[in-house]
Parts: sequence; structure tokens; C-alpha cells
Amino acid sequence: MMKKIIFIGLFTMILFGCGNSNKQQSAVSDTPVVAISVDDLYKNATNLEDKEVVVKGTVTHVCKEGGARCFLMGSSEDVLIRVEAGEKIGSFNQEQIGNELEIVGIFKMVKTEADAHNPGHMQGEGEEANNEDAQAEHAHKMMAASQEASEVVYFIEGLKVKEL
Amino acid sequence: MNIRKLLRTLHRDLGYYIVAMTLVYAVSGIYLNHRHDFNPDYKIYVTDFQIPYSIRKEVNDEGMKKIIENINEDIVYKKHYVNKEGLIKIFIENGEAVINPETGKGTVQYLKRRPLIFSINKLHRASIGTLWKWVSDIMALILIFVAISGLFLLKGKKGFGKWGWWWTIAGIVVPLIFALLFI
Repeated sequence: MMKKIIFIGLFTMILFGCGNSNKQQSAVSDTPVVAISVDDLYKNATNLEDKEVVVKGTVTHVCKEGGARCFLMGSSEDVLIRVEAGEKIGSFNQEQIGNELEIVGIFKMVKTEADAHNPGHMQGEGEEANNEDAQAEHAHKMMAASQEASEVVYFIEGLKVKEL
Repeated sequence: MNIRKLLRTLHRDLGYYIVAMTLVYAVSGIYLNHRHDFNPDYKIYVTDFQIPYSIRKEVNDEGMKKIIENINEDIVYKKHYVNKEGLIKIFIENGEAVINPETGKGTVQYLKRRPLIFSINKLHRASIGTLWKWVSDIMALILIFVAISGLFLLKGKKGFGKWGWWWTIAGIVVPLIFALLFI
């Protein structure tokens, strides 16, 4: 019985492992090559909405409860974009603060900052997001202030991350 | 093989198999429960310091590297910028520092991963990619099986029907009370 269980366990891992590597390969082949800055991302925001983008910037903050999201900074601390790690990236680490990251992801727009910060809220997710720390709150305020009338907020649904 | 014997065998072997993951979920569960009391992943060390002189805000990378690495030899400089309040924010390996350029006062914050706990928290949160999500689902299903099958292992006076259900109900009542009162 024990041998059977071990065999089934190994077989399952190999099966899922194969499936996963195929997905990663296809993601890589679809990836656009040139990374743009956070400033350029905002300049072309209307054209890039809901499209796959590659953005590079400095990580100024990683959410402390699990690293589900981080903020990338452009030319100044007023130019920030929130990146959701999502299932593909998993999570960011606090050690990545100050590092230059290149993110592949889908550029998204939501209407209010509250929705933007917790896109899964309507589906009942996001206890973690509701318990955000003060530093992230500050980042949200800066983001909202940097965007006219604070009604449209952009973020990136992360697909892939690379340390530069 | 009768059903009860099969159940016993599966319960025994899968029980051995799932010990490690049960400990992962239980131990990291305690840390994650206290995530508002302390950081479950990192130990955070905060130290105040004073530079014996004021600095120009426009100090270059090399200059800032010398200043910050002089404070403590363990600090490894990454980069810096001046924030809206005019403070210099410096990113260092595993942390960050802030210096008031006029007074020379500063604060440095180091992060150190909690050995083992950092990793098991990641496993618990299933935040290491898609593959682990599915593997941990299977682990959770095994855990459910071990829990349910455990109810039906014993016959007689101490079996589920005569004795076990009291304990089972007691285990349901505690979370149920909290759910009814607070959710």
C-alpha cells in the first residue's frame, strides 16, 4: 500500500510538473521584448489598457502580509504602479525592496482606488488587502493624487517577474 | 478486504504521509494567526543612528554608499532617492534606511527571514506558483480523508456512534460559536 501511495504521489507531481513547464514556455514565447518605464506606461495608459506590458522600475514597497503585491517606482515617488503577484508570480519578498524588477503583466484600469487595491473583493477575497499597513496606504494616496480626480487607477496583474 | 480494514490501512498509510504537511499547516497557521502582532515571515530590527554632519540632498551614489556603509559594516547599499518630505530614502540589502539630511539623524530597518517559518508560511499560503497550488489541494484532500476516515475506525463502546460523536460535536461547537457571534 505504501509503495502504491508513493508511486501515485510521484506520478501526480510529474504529471503536474509537465503541465506547468509547458505553460511557462508558452508564456515566455508570447512575452514582448522591450521593457518600458513606469512613466512611459502612464503616458500610454489609454492605449495599453488590458494589454500585456513589460515594465521595469524600482520596488519601493512590498505588502507585508504575504507579499501579494508590490509598488514599482518610476522617475519619482509620485510615479508608482501597483503590481499584483497573482497566481503566476505567487508573491514578492520584502528583500526585493530597492531592487530593479522587470514585470510582465496585464495593464488594468479600475474606477476607484478602493476597488483597485482589492480587485478580488467583490468575489469575497482579500482579508489581507483589508488589513493593509500604513506605508501601503500612503502609497495608495500618492497614486490617487498623481492621477487626475482619483477616479481611474491603474495596476498590473503580474504574470512574470525578473530581477534586473 | 472488508471496508473497515481498507479504511484502517488507508487511514494509517495516508496518516503517515500527511504528517509533514499537517505540521506545516498547523505551525505556520499559528504564525499567520498572529500576523497583526508581528511579522510572521521576518524578524525586523530597527536602529536609530546619527551621522556627525549634515549631508547635501544631491549626494551621489558613491558618496551615499560610503555614508551608509560607515554606519554598520553589515549594511550593503543598493540605491537612494530624496522623497517629497526632503528625506533621503536609502535601499539596502534586506532593508531600508531614512536620513534627514539637515540633522543627520536616521533610522535603519533590517529584515531577517525567520528560519524554516518563512518557507512553511509560503507553502501554507500557496504563494509559490500554480504547481504547488494543485499539489497542496491534493494534500488537503488527503487530510480531509484522514480526518473523516478516523471517525469510523473504532467499533464498540469507544466508537463514533457511542462515544466519538460527543468529542466531534464539541469540536464543531467551539468554531460555530465564534462564527455565530463574530461573522
